[in-house]
Amino acid sequence: MAGKDDEFLKRLLVTFAVEAQEHLQGICSGLLRLEQDKDTAEARAELVETVFREAHSLKGAARAVNLTQVEALCQALESVFAALKRDELSLSVAFFDLLQEVLDYLGVVFLNAGAERTQIDKLLQRQLVSRLEGVVKNETAPKEIFHSSPSVAPLPSVPPRSEFPEAEVTNVSPLLPETIRVATHRLISVLLQTEEMLGAKLSSAERLLHMRSTSAVMGDWRREWSKIVPVVQECRNSRNGVDPREHARGGREKRSALTKLLDFLDWNCDFIKTVEARFVAQLKTTEKDDRVLGGMVTNLLDEMKKVLMIPFSSLLEILPKIARDLSRENGKKINVIISGEEIEIDRRILEEMKDPLVHLVRNCVDHGLESPDERLAKGKPPQGTITVTVAPRDNMVELTVMDDGRGISLANVRSAVLKLGNLPVERVMELSHQELLAQIFQSGITTSPILTEISGRGLGLAIVREKVGKIGGTVNVASTPDFGTTFRMLLPLTVATFRGVLVRVGERQFVLPAMYVERVLRAFPEEIRNVENRRTICIAGVPLSLASLASVLELPPPADKEVSAQLQIVVLNSTEMRIAFQVSEVLGECEVLHKGLGPQLSRVRNIAGATLLGNGHVAPILNVIDLLASAIKMSAFTGRQEETVDSLSAVAEIRSILVAEDSITTRTLLKNILESAGYRVSTAVDGMDALTKLKSDRFDIVVSDVEMPRMNGFDLTAGIRADKNLKDLPVVLVTALASREDRERGIDVGADAYIVKGSFDQSNLLEVLQKLI
Amino acid sequence: MNAITPPGEAKRQRIFRERAELLAREPEQHGAEEELLDVVEFLLSGEQYAIESVYVTAVHSLKDLTQLPCTPPFVLGVMNMRGKILSVVDLRVFFELPRRALSDLNMLIVLQNDTMTFAIPADGIVGTRGIPRASLLATLPTLTGIRGEYLLGITPQRLVVLDGCKLLGDSRMVVHEEV
Repeated sequence: MAGKDDEFLKRLLVTFAVEAQEHLQGICSGLLRLEQDKDTAEARAELVETVFREAHSLKGAARAVNLTQVEALCQALESVFAALKRDELSLSVAFFDLLQEVLDYLGVVFLNAGAERTQIDKLLQRQLVSRLEGVVKNETAPKEIFHSSPSVAPLPSVPPRSEFPEAEVTNVSPLLPETIRVATHRLISVLLQTEEMLGAKLSSAERLLHMRSTSAVMGDWRREWSKIVPVVQECRNSRNGVDPREHARGGREKRSALTKLLDFLDWNCDFIKTVEARFVAQLKTTEKDDRVLGGMVTNLLDEMKKVLMIPFSSLLEILPKIARDLSRENGKKINVIISGEEIEIDRRILEEMKDPLVHLVRNCVDHGLESPDERLAKGKPPQGTITVTVAPRDNMVELTVMDDGRGISLANVRSAVLKLGNLPVERVMELSHQELLAQIFQSGITTSPILTEISGRGLGLAIVREKVGKIGGTVNVASTPDFGTTFRMLLPLTVATFRGVLVRVGERQFVLPAMYVERVLRAFPEEIRNVENRRTICIAGVPLSLASLASVLELPPPADKEVSAQLQIVVLNSTEMRIAFQVSEVLGECEVLHKGLGPQLSRVRNIAGATLLGNGHVAPILNVIDLLASAIKMSAFTGRQEETVDSLSAVAEIRSILVAEDSITTRTLLKNILESAGYRVSTAVDGMDALTKLKSDRFDIVVSDVEMPRMNGFDLTAGIRADKNLKDLPVVLVTALASREDRERGIDVGADAYIVKGSFDQSNLLEVLQKLI
Repeated sequence: MNAITPPGEAKRQRIFRERAELLAREPEQHGAEEELLDVVEFLLSGEQYAIESVYVTAVHSLKDLTQLPCTPPFVLGVMNMRGKILSVVDLRVFFELPRRALSDLNMLIVLQNDTMTFAIPADGIVGTRGIPRASLLATLPTLTGIRGEYLLGITPQRLVVLDGCKLLGDSRMVVHEEV
């Protein structure tokens, strides 16, 4: 047991030595800067503050590893800096000398932390402490102290290294630091080059495959040869026993030609066998090289990824602030508890997780947690709690975001799913609780009664799922009414390679992430049935919609030459749906390293990224969630295409908006924005005017200000809802009032969206309009 | 956002530009105050274009381009460039140049600033040169529409100089589409 503790302390001391060097370096460069005395008073104060903080951290660290004696010296150093902060010290060269001396001394001590300390050493430290204390005490005359210092310190100020002989043995390289700070972009550049090596590995594997098939071809030759060997033998025999008469009749030349031919055949056989043996030997070597290269690349990549791992804390530390800001806006009390933030993960994954995490916390605050009154009424503490936990799970890491709010109302989810209309009504009714919960990740599903800037569009959770899926993780949700909701994300520790299914559509190749590929199969054309004008196929007894991957990807129908009798089909599956896709050919499985498409292609429909194939080509990785959504969208059109086109253009024509706004400037602005977006716009000067116009004309949506003379926006909304002809008309309230009460009042009177002018940019409004009509 | 771009990139670029301009300055007799603009000159559909060198990070041969479905016509595709995926934008679409003219697009100019990076294909690279900034003419009546917008100026020799900053900063270039 004691041995284990010692071991631990040793490791801790190594860590400490590295940290201490960093602090010393910080103090040292700060002092040097101060000594140059080039800075403004403000910059000076900042420098002193930095130095003071470094000294303080150093003291703390020393205490943590039980270096109590050093701690005393650090304490003295800290007091000097504290006095410096209060501007009580005059800065002489001697003063800086003393401080640098202390730093040098500490540097040596820390390097040898854990080693037995000598008497001389201890004496030297006591002297340094007393000299530092002298500086602070005699702040008016520090010079004097320094003049007398040589007599106080008879020993050389920095002991030569030889005084620490034992310690030197224990330290590997005391002169060089254990850590180096490297700019992230450099490391990323190295990482990218390392990832390039994966291409070498893949192409080596492909080369090997080609060599194996070449080697297999030799089998054909051997078979053919063994068939012909008896014939050759026969020829040879008949030559030996050839008719002498024929012999006489100028058969000499003939015989020699035949002999030559037979000899050549023998030589040929030997030759091919030699070449084959050589080829096989090379194949063996290549196999070995491939294994070695593969191992090297994998290790290199793994190590390189580890270099770029950073703790979760850098991501999680923003959460309390976000929660605090949100709670301000919402009037809810929130306590954020974070644990496991020290766990390290690939920084690229952390970057991808930023948006999802913010969305989840917003969700918790906005939908999950109740207002303090509501909580008290339920017998809960008024303050809601959001718990964010990071914990390792096998080779992955689990990130949990949990709130103790009202939970997710399944009834609301069901009605939202019905409203979205992606699934037939009877299917929606059949959904189990778990299936229904999974629906909340679908884009466009929201249980919020109203749209605001921060929530209600039903996009947040869709983004969560997309991002988590992109990095190869999974997300699920559990919820108990009145006890809260828990989102659990399982994330890979590094941007790992994953398995993909390589398919061909016409001339192009695409990669489907294997985790979404349920199965790959062949089917005869007769197996496809048209149900309600949709192509379906029965797989394992279950009918599935069949879509053509080419048409979903908006590609021309592939002109496949080899019209084979069977169709190749890939069944894609995500949490809420399964669809079969027809492809030209399934080429096989491959190892995939996901790469983004760059800033110019910020998001492309149906495409998640790209990967390098073994042959060096780039193949797009398809976004399966998008594909499924696209397929559903398209299937809604097939079969009644003409009708749809008609109604579409008709809809585009008649979309008309009534804008109610008392300010002429805002009214004109809104009219311009909306008209340039292709809507027909009428205006009303107040609620009363609007209500009159609504009764005489037909509109698709009302955009209204809240504060207006005669009749305000709330009353207008209430009036619309009360009218039996208008009650389903969407109403968007645009207002300068950002308070929670007003937003709630907006919900109460039945507005569909509530946009605050402060954050009012036209894309926001247009997006909301598009969503509502 | 773009973690690859170091924070001091803009400053570095500025220093590079200053140095480049200093180096490119011709001896006294050319007029000491004349400011030279360093450009990369290239051919596109039989016309001569140039773009400021500060925005050009690499010139590369165009090969192994992978087309992407579901992208607007100006996105030619993507390619692998030292481990990173680089998107290729066809300026001919913006410039209303014939796309099937005698164009053999075998070169690629990689453009980059702090936040954006993409490549534009060219039929050939003529080279780099310094153009006296003062000699640039504002516009030509034939260069209307979007081509006019991306124009920095035209030299008396009818070389069309593109505004790299506007090209890279134009939000119309960015593809961001949901299903």
